[in-house]
Amino acid sequence: MHETAATKASALSLLEEQQGITRDLLGRLAHAGPRFWLVVTVLGILFIVGIVGVVLRLQGGLADRAKWGYYAATFAFLLTAFQGAPIVSLATRMVKGHWRRPLARASELFAVVGVLSSVLFLIMLNIIPPVQGRRTLWFEWPVGAPYLFDSLAVIFLAVCGLGLLYTAALPDIAAARDRVPGGRKGLWTALALDWQGTPEQWRLQKVALGVLGGFYLMFFVFTHLLVSVDYVMALVPGWKDNIFPAFHALVGLQSGVAITLVALGLLRWVGGYKKYIDMEQFWGLSKLLLALSLLWFYFQWSAFITFWYGKQPGEQSVLTFLMFGPYAGLYLTAFLCGFLLPFLLLIWNVVRRSTVGPFLAGCIVLVGAFADRLRLYVAAFSVEDIKLHALETVPATHLPDSADLMIMIGMVAGAILMYLLATRIVPPVSVWEVKEMLHYRVVRMFMKTRVVVLAKPE
Amino acid sequence: MQERVQISDEQINRELLSGVLHTPLWFWGLVLLLGAVAGVGVIAAGFLVYFGVGVLGLNRPVFWGFLITNFVFWVGISHAGVMISAILRLTQAEWRRPVTRAAEVLTIFALSTAALFPLIHTGRPWRALYWVFPYDFSRGIWPNVRSPLIWDPSAIFTYLTGTILFVFIALVPDLGMVRDRTTGWRHKLYSVLSLGWEGNPRQWRLQAVAGILLSALILPVFVSVHSIVSWDFGMAVAVETWHATVFAPYFVIGAVHSGVSAVVTMMALLLWIFKLKNYIRPDHFDALGRLLVVVATAWLYFYVLDFFFGMYALEPQEIANRTLIMFQWPMSFMFVLFALASYFIPIPLWLSRKNRRNITLMFWSSILVNIGMWMERFQIIVPGLMRKEPFTFTWGGYAPTVVELAMVTGSFALVGLGLLIFSKFFPLIPAWEQKEGQLLQDEVQVGRAKVPGLVHE
Repeated sequence: MHETAATKASALSLLEEQQGITRDLLGRLAHAGPRFWLVVTVLGILFIVGIVGVVLRLQGGLADRAKWGYYAATFAFLLTAFQGAPIVSLATRMVKGHWRRPLARASELFAVVGVLSSVLFLIMLNIIPPVQGRRTLWFEWPVGAPYLFDSLAVIFLAVCGLGLLYTAALPDIAAARDRVPGGRKGLWTALALDWQGTPEQWRLQKVALGVLGGFYLMFFVFTHLLVSVDYVMALVPGWKDNIFPAFHALVGLQSGVAITLVALGLLRWVGGYKKYIDMEQFWGLSKLLLALSLLWFYFQWSAFITFWYGKQPGEQSVLTFLMFGPYAGLYLTAFLCGFLLPFLLLIWNVVRRSTVGPFLAGCIVLVGAFADRLRLYVAAFSVEDIKLHALETVPATHLPDSADLMIMIGMVAGAILMYLLATRIVPPVSVWEVKEMLHYRVVRMFMKTRVVVLAKPE
Repeated sequence: MQERVQISDEQINRELLSGVLHTPLWFWGLVLLLGAVAGVGVIAAGFLVYFGVGVLGLNRPVFWGFLITNFVFWVGISHAGVMISAILRLTQAEWRRPVTRAAEVLTIFALSTAALFPLIHTGRPWRALYWVFPYDFSRGIWPNVRSPLIWDPSAIFTYLTGTILFVFIALVPDLGMVRDRTTGWRHKLYSVLSLGWEGNPRQWRLQAVAGILLSALILPVFVSVHSIVSWDFGMAVAVETWHATVFAPYFVIGAVHSGVSAVVTMMALLLWIFKLKNYIRPDHFDALGRLLVVVATAWLYFYVLDFFFGMYALEPQEIANRTLIMFQWPMSFMFVLFALASYFIPIPLWLSRKNRRNITLMFWSSILVNIGMWMERFQIIVPGLMRKEPFTFTWGGYAPTVVELAMVTGSFALVGLGLLIFSKFFPLIPAWEQKEGQLLQDEVQVGRAKVPGLVHE
């Protein structure tokens, strides 16, 4: 094919731009500034404080379930927010929006927290009694329920998330192997698995991302179903609520989007990734967050109105217990931060089309998600006799002690620490996806104005 | 979209307005046929009004049967319009263009047909007007606003009004075109309807803003309609199997599943009847098929939640209901058919790109889905009532009569007739959207390949 000088020049300029991106993004892997290591140190100390909190709690034994409510809520928050984030990447990949490219890796990196939540779950297994003699999801199934199946779900979710992250990051790991000097070269060489970027390797990577993405979504929903029912619904006598597992998963999706927004904001303003993370990423995610916040209200209202309207005594007790009684403050916080405030913020186009607005909405939603997990798990764990037919007396509020505070702060700090350490191995902005975007984006004249034309390959 | 077809504006006008400007002979034949079937339904309704509700197969404890199942079914079908129009417009999915108006019009006729059934079901439908206009407040009896049966008309009529507005706003540019190509009474009619449309920049801007606003505003209405219909059942504590918190999203996602499948059926019929192969392409069926796989899987998740957690508390009525549905003839046969028809046959087929681009296969599989979804609504309503009583000697049965069958069949013909008559007066595929879509199409050189692209709005 005869190439014109203009085509050659354009191809050369594209190549130079791509090489510039590679140098910039991979160059950041080579060194981290003192500010980064200071933050890592602080988070490390807080994580150790959290581990001390867990040890203190273990010294009190596992028999008193009420004491473990805050621990369970923290685990649930990590499962909800941190492990919900990779879904942002895989869901936006399914709809093939180009705006997702700079944010994909930032959301996939949260999958590393699956390791921490799997470890935390091991203790939770020992807190709930066997299924015999009480109402559960398992109908007194004798083998493996709930311990084996719940563990498998949590572990599979973590493994699938790590697999998804690894598969998506493989081309960048190989690029780091080839370009970044230093002590981690051996690690990148081992992880890169002889990736050369051949067409067949790219094709396999695409297939693997599709399959792993589908599995991650399925496991995410399934794990939320098991955890929400076994560790919350089954512990509250008389509570039969078919929408609750879906609501639990929905808060996961919503806080996954929220935490991705927070990560994007921090990467842009503190991490120095302003060139790659633009208003468009915040705009795209803010629309998703608005929709999910509305769904939060919809699911809550569906549950509430069905219970409230029916005026069944057992259901009224559950409403009092979880919404209007001892945990009313937490419920109000969850309602305000999970729905009302993000809704009032994000209905304005000028807010959605900014970077600060969606970032702020993301922070608010995370507060709401944590409040929601606290009210559900602390309440459920505080019920003494879980074999009753209905909740006869509403237990009093169970307040946190110092060990609980240490656990909550420490484990969240630990999760953030894992994320930051992972960014030293894998760049938080996907190099290959951003470079690929340059092929698909051209600026042309349209009528009398310049417009961006985006290619839409199948 | 891989297929890039460039058609001249003149050809678009000619092909898309031909249904409005010319009337082939087969049109009248089809109108007569559908009119006859719909007429049988009307006669059956008249039979019911004259002889009373005893002509239906209803009896204690099964007070709701085929007619209410049909009501819920058509409300479900009506969800396709907003799903495709509003959501795909807001997400800027280009493939929506030929599908939007037909889906919205299906919504209007489906909703209007659905609204007839509770009225007919009263046995004395004129009393609905008598009770309401004017409302007799003097005896101190007020409408029971706590009843979902009061919420229903509010939601349905709000949705109907919103959809009519939505269709009309999107129709105005095409009405202007038809006005300029007609004479006599038709010219006068379109002149009034087109509201002085000239196609100047200000009018286009207003039309675009109105479309986007309506898209955003109608979404909560779309969710609320079927949620409220679901709460007709969900709020009823007397029928244990209906008292479930998941009913609202479950019904809504089921509605989207059946509604979008109905749009697939309708698009295939439009393609074959009106010969619109330049506008309705395998790409559109591919996109609809992918959407349906996601929606159907979400629906299955909610179905499993409802089914499984229904038994969670091991309540006697729940167990009796599930036993009836799954293990007792003929409900068990219907259960197997429903499961296969609504999910386990179509979805595996739709996972293959080759199958999604096969229009004949998409047509028949979408019909199968709606057969399955009609049975799903029946299986929620009737078995729940059959087993609602705690004592087995008060359990009841149900068998539909010819009157009910006639009315249900007539409803399908009525919706088809409505769509057909609409197509006589208004183009079913928006000409202006097709032209706009073509303007926004472009190509990008990626390596040695030319890849279809779109101007980023």
